[in-house]
Amino acid sequence: MKIKNRSKICLIISAAIMVIALVLSLCGQGINMGIDFEGGLSMEYDMKAAADKNEISKVLDGMNVGTYTVTMQGAEANEAVIRIKDVAQDDIQNIQATFEEGVKAVYADAESIGDVNYVGPVAGATLVQNAIWSVVIAAVLMLIYIAIRFDLNSGISAVFGLVHDVFMMLSFMVILRNVIQMNSSFIAAALTIVGYSINNTIVIFDRIRENAKKLSNVSREEVTNISIKESLGRTIGTTITTLITIVALCILGVASIREFALPIIVGILSGVYSANMINGYVWAFLEEKRLARKVKA
Amino acid sequence: MKSNKRGHSKTSAAVTLSVILVLTIIVGILGVSGLSLPPKGLYKLLGWLPTTDASQWPESLPLGLDLRGGMYVEYSAAAEEGAEADFDSLMNGTMTIITQRLADKGYTEANVQKIGTDGIRVEIPDVQDDTVLDLIGAAAEMRFVAADGTEMSGSKIKTATYYYADGDHQIAFTLTEEGRQEFATMTANNIGSTITIYLDDEILIAPTVQSAITEGNGVINGLGTAERASTIAAQIQSGALPLVLTQQKVDKVSATLGQDAVSTAVRAAIIGILLVMLFLILRYRLNGLVASWALSIYVIILFWLIAMLHIQLTLPGLAGVVLGIGMAVDANVIIFERFNEEIRNGKSLKNAVRAGFKHAMSAILDGNITTLIAAIVLLIFGTGSIQGFARTLLLGVVVSMFSAVIITRVLMNSLVGIGIKRISLFTKVNKAKEVEA
Repeated sequence: MKIKNRSKICLIISAAIMVIALVLSLCGQGINMGIDFEGGLSMEYDMKAAADKNEISKVLDGMNVGTYTVTMQGAEANEAVIRIKDVAQDDIQNIQATFEEGVKAVYADAESIGDVNYVGPVAGATLVQNAIWSVVIAAVLMLIYIAIRFDLNSGISAVFGLVHDVFMMLSFMVILRNVIQMNSSFIAAALTIVGYSINNTIVIFDRIRENAKKLSNVSREEVTNISIKESLGRTIGTTITTLITIVALCILGVASIREFALPIIVGILSGVYSANMINGYVWAFLEEKRLARKVKA
Repeated sequence: MKSNKRGHSKTSAAVTLSVILVLTIIVGILGVSGLSLPPKGLYKLLGWLPTTDASQWPESLPLGLDLRGGMYVEYSAAAEEGAEADFDSLMNGTMTIITQRLADKGYTEANVQKIGTDGIRVEIPDVQDDTVLDLIGAAAEMRFVAADGTEMSGSKIKTATYYYADGDHQIAFTLTEEGRQEFATMTANNIGSTITIYLDDEILIAPTVQSAITEGNGVINGLGTAERASTIAAQIQSGALPLVLTQQKVDKVSATLGQDAVSTAVRAAIIGILLVMLFLILRYRLNGLVASWALSIYVIILFWLIAMLHIQLTLPGLAGVVLGIGMAVDANVIIFERFNEEIRNGKSLKNAVRAGFKHAMSAILDGNITTLIAAIVLLIFGTGSIQGFARTLLLGVVVSMFSAVIITRVLMNSLVGIGIKRISLFTKVNKAKEVEA
């Protein structure tokens, strides 16, 4: 009884995090969309000296390019990442050339470094659509597989947990908007979690399947409790080993790797949390209902 | 007799372990350094394991653009207005022409891919020069050259359309007023010989003149397939690509960023794996040693397969590798936890190995198969980088099942088989119980 209450509290906590993220998004503080999704032109310059953001903004203002952002980075704030929205494809070279000329008037040694990116407005939308469809199809197929190997309620609760984890990742992308941008690597990260989190759930459901046969006269909730407790050693072992590698990547990796690793860390934690605190109890709840219906009939 | 048999199985377990150990070390060294046997050039085996030094990167592991540096462009393609030909064959024609144009200019490693129904992705490694883009989309110069040396510019063609009649794929074309007269003279002087149509010095087609074409419209027949006929028709019509391309995305990755990404990712992965091994050994003792050993074999096999199948390694691809390693470790952890449980229930080491595997297998199979489902869906429906991820994940999961089911089992059985009896070498034991055992 105690643990079931805990699963209710967990559902409330998750819902609260998602609601906070939703409210932030509605207030215009949503996910920090990278160029892969929003489209536009992005370039990176090294000024070879401590640089002032205002000077660079002045150059851009003089060019009449519309909405833009300038982010300073590097040891002495000597590098600038410039992103310009709504750029027509034919203007790219023109904009680059004019900007370079303008910026060199201020910082003589400035030079282009890193990526120059241009993304048209259609490319981003296709990417998202494609990813959402892939996840939906994968989820349906997983549900079918689990329904065959376990039972329908296991399939439903496992996919419920999966959706929970993906939404948690999205929520944290909102909450961490100042730390991390959402680019196409986020999609790869979300997909990794889809695979990883279902694996976590399955290991516990495998125990439940085994114990449910042995303990037919114990409540489903208690079966879930016992199974989670018995799987705890594996849960700890696997979670720590997976986190070790990903945290190493996150700490040592370059920005593009971090953009991938951080959402995965969030997803892994969320996956462990939902597999141990939520999914099993959703199954128990559905099973008890089904059994009650059976008795009535 | 009985003790003799036990002695024999002890020896065979020890032999198995030694053989696997020697093989692991030899193959591991080969994986890092490769092998070339004298006399030089007679036999050469390239190394296939990643290194932290990007300049020493093994040739057999091709890097994707995001790691190697270079540029890629994505186009959306549209048929010209009024075009009736099958869109798919025009797409294929367009991609062939782009590949050809890039190869002609020396970009032989460029890769042209179709995305969805109307997208084309062009990847050119090691290049960051915008002029390459002009090359792809450029209108080509078209010339008609007759056997007697007379020439006509392609701009005098008004329309060229594909059609199918009399069981033959044909192109019907019309000429401008100026072109009508020029072409009439040209064909009249060259009946029975060929007029070669050049596109950028490349022979597009060389039809034989059957009669003088004086009315300003004619037919080229016998083009074989619908795809060829519609592509050539579109090329004659536009003098360029059969489809109109709109640039959707341009991405240039500098090689230094790529090299940084590679060496840091590999360094992070090595540190990560060593820490994982340390953790496994501390927690599962001798079993942890087995797992670390199996993990090394797993990495050797996985990268060998990646090299053999020519899978380009991208950043998401490396992520797939990391997830695959995670799945492999997880399988071992599940087995060892079950093993420890069986020991706690008072089973002997040998029986605990057997029961541990038996009980762990359903969880490992179901977990891996669901991940496999996700990987396959991504491989089919994903594009570009997502497919790269799916490919390595797919391999990773398959190899991880092999490693968990076969390698770990052989190692554990042999280890127990050489006669190690102390349970505390495998897992924490209740002192009282050990005495009993």
